[in-house]
Amino acid sequence: MTGLALRSLRHRATAFTATFLAVLLGTALIGSFATLIQTATGPVSSTDGETLMVLGAVVGGWGTLIVLFSVASTLAITVRQREVEIGLLRTIGATPRQARRLIRLEALVVAILAALGGSLVAAVGGRALLAMLRNGGLVADDVAYGGGVAALAAAAAGVVLTSVLAASIAGRRATGGPATVALAQGASESGRMRWWRVLAALVLIGYGLAMGVVTITVSADSADPYDAMATSGSSSILVGVGLALLAPLLLRWLSVLARPILGRSGPTGHLAAYNTSRRSHLLSGVLAPVIVLTASSIGTLTLVGIDGRTLAGGVSTPETHTINVLNNVVVGMLSLFAAIMVINSFAAVVSHRRAELNRLWLLGATPGQVRGSVLAEAWVVAGVGVLVGAAAALATIVPFGVARHEGVVPDGQLWLPPLLAAGVVLLTLLSARSAVRRVAPAAPAGQPALR
Amino acid sequence: MNTSTQAPFALEVSGLTRTYGEGVGAVHALAGVDLAFPSGTFTAVMGPSGSGKSTFLTCAAGLERPTGGAVVIDGQEITRWSEDDRTRFRRERIGFVFQGFHLMPYLTAEQNVGLPLRLAGHRPDRARVRSLLERVGLSDRAGHLPGTLSGGQQQRVAIARALVTGPAVILADEPTGSLDSRTAHDVLRLLRSLDDRTVVMVTHDPVAAAYADSVVFLVDGRVAGRMDAPTADAVAGQMAHLDDLVAVEAAS
Repeated sequence: MTGLALRSLRHRATAFTATFLAVLLGTALIGSFATLIQTATGPVSSTDGETLMVLGAVVGGWGTLIVLFSVASTLAITVRQREVEIGLLRTIGATPRQARRLIRLEALVVAILAALGGSLVAAVGGRALLAMLRNGGLVADDVAYGGGVAALAAAAAGVVLTSVLAASIAGRRATGGPATVALAQGASESGRMRWWRVLAALVLIGYGLAMGVVTITVSADSADPYDAMATSGSSSILVGVGLALLAPLLLRWLSVLARPILGRSGPTGHLAAYNTSRRSHLLSGVLAPVIVLTASSIGTLTLVGIDGRTLAGGVSTPETHTINVLNNVVVGMLSLFAAIMVINSFAAVVSHRRAELNRLWLLGATPGQVRGSVLAEAWVVAGVGVLVGAAAALATIVPFGVARHEGVVPDGQLWLPPLLAAGVVLLTLLSARSAVRRVAPAAPAGQPALR
Repeated sequence: MNTSTQAPFALEVSGLTRTYGEGVGAVHALAGVDLAFPSGTFTAVMGPSGSGKSTFLTCAAGLERPTGGAVVIDGQEITRWSEDDRTRFRRERIGFVFQGFHLMPYLTAEQNVGLPLRLAGHRPDRARVRSLLERVGLSDRAGHLPGTLSGGQQQRVAIARALVTGPAVILADEPTGSLDSRTAHDVLRLLRSLDDRTVVMVTHDPVAAAYADSVVFLVDGRVAGRMDAPTADAVAGQMAHLDDLVAVEAAS
């Protein structure tokens, strides 16, 4: 089985690039913050230790949530792409257990390689992060980098473990039915959600909203103005990830609203309208990172804006400066990560549908119409994602705004959320365009596949 | 695009060649095929594996540009047209039935039938779609998704879809290849009942071919014979004979 897994990996290097990238970046992100925690346990003063600990745990915690979620959803997409091949393996005698083991082993190998690479990046990134904290005066200048193998290994192990767990779940789903090589092209794979997924989503959303309530009722009156930020800062990300877990449901419901608009935009819109609502489980893999990206960027950057306007009469102390920089760095890193996930998952979803898009062309759709229908789907995903993500961002903006006496609507920078939303929409459309360009039916060249 | 003059042949190919690769390794999938399919007939195109059946179909449909020769559908020579023009022509004048049904999994039976019209920029006429579904015996399944239909039902939806534009010719590629013999029988009878339509069916199954008005045999990219009013036994006998011919040619 191990030999087969390795050979299968080499044969399909590009398909696993998505997983590799997600794990690599994820480990780099989590690992960088994990080194802060390890530094905190070293020979530093108790105040510095506490600062580092809080930063590592709180900021690293949000990141971990997003990273683990992304790695799991990427793996689910790659495994689903191979359902036919897995069916073939089973018809020639592989037991479901063997097929699952193959999937797990492949995931393990890719995850270990990527996590090693990510750890190296984190070793550099952790040092850079600490240097930034020192320069900003958030910790004393004599705090030495204490990160090492322990922190990096823990981060890497966590990501690898998640990957294998996600592969197990995806494998269980892929081997659940009877063995068959028949292309189940007509089968409308049901996007039924497992109870634990709904539960996890509700817990995350509930926790995020609770933190918002705590911000307004408790920490708004706290002496330290940063207490409000600590309680409300992560709410948008928590609620965002929670809603992202519900992405298939949200897409199914909300894309129905888009139907009248799409119906008027010709055959491409018509196709997109039904594909997004009836096969929401496919596109939800793209919708999830769009929601998280929108929620975290709008939520956190608006929070930074409110903070800048309301704190200490606008006086900029080194501490406020550092916290601003840190917030921006976190948003930057998470946005980069989520952006790559959007591109990644769109490429995976579209390449999964290569046969179906070819079919559309056989039925008389021009290549332009085929591309157009995928782009129309991207519009729906972007629209739903931005809408839901912006709603999630309110979980941070409203409590923090109330706590800092700006009220429910922030006093300034109201141009920021629309700008960020436009950026997210653009990113989604561009990744759809590049994905579909790669698989668009190559009409005259070669022999078209009739079957 | 529709010339009102009724061409005597719905589909006519002459000197059709298609070569893959170049030089010594070149494969002549079609080595000069002349065929004419009169309007309103049901013809089966048969041949062993590698005889050029599928290449013939893709060239005749304008999906693929032949290396040489002409394809005339409904009086129009389409081989030199651009990809977009051929696509537009194809979706209005050619109906396709595939072995794998090729229904869009996220559209209902009714929406699948109306899809070619939508792609052509028309709003599907609900009554027409309904009457086609009724004609293939699925009027009670209009709102079902393909995943909830049996193989035979899916293929009948696909046939209704092929008919919706009122095409000059229906091209069927092993339409019963994925069906059991009973369901295949129903689908073939349905194809034969379309006597107002020209149907060209590629198959390697003598039983399926026997439903056609006539059978054309292809061997090594050439027409190797023709049989009118075929029976399954006669077609099977001819196929065995064709294999002998291929063996003789290969030995010489």
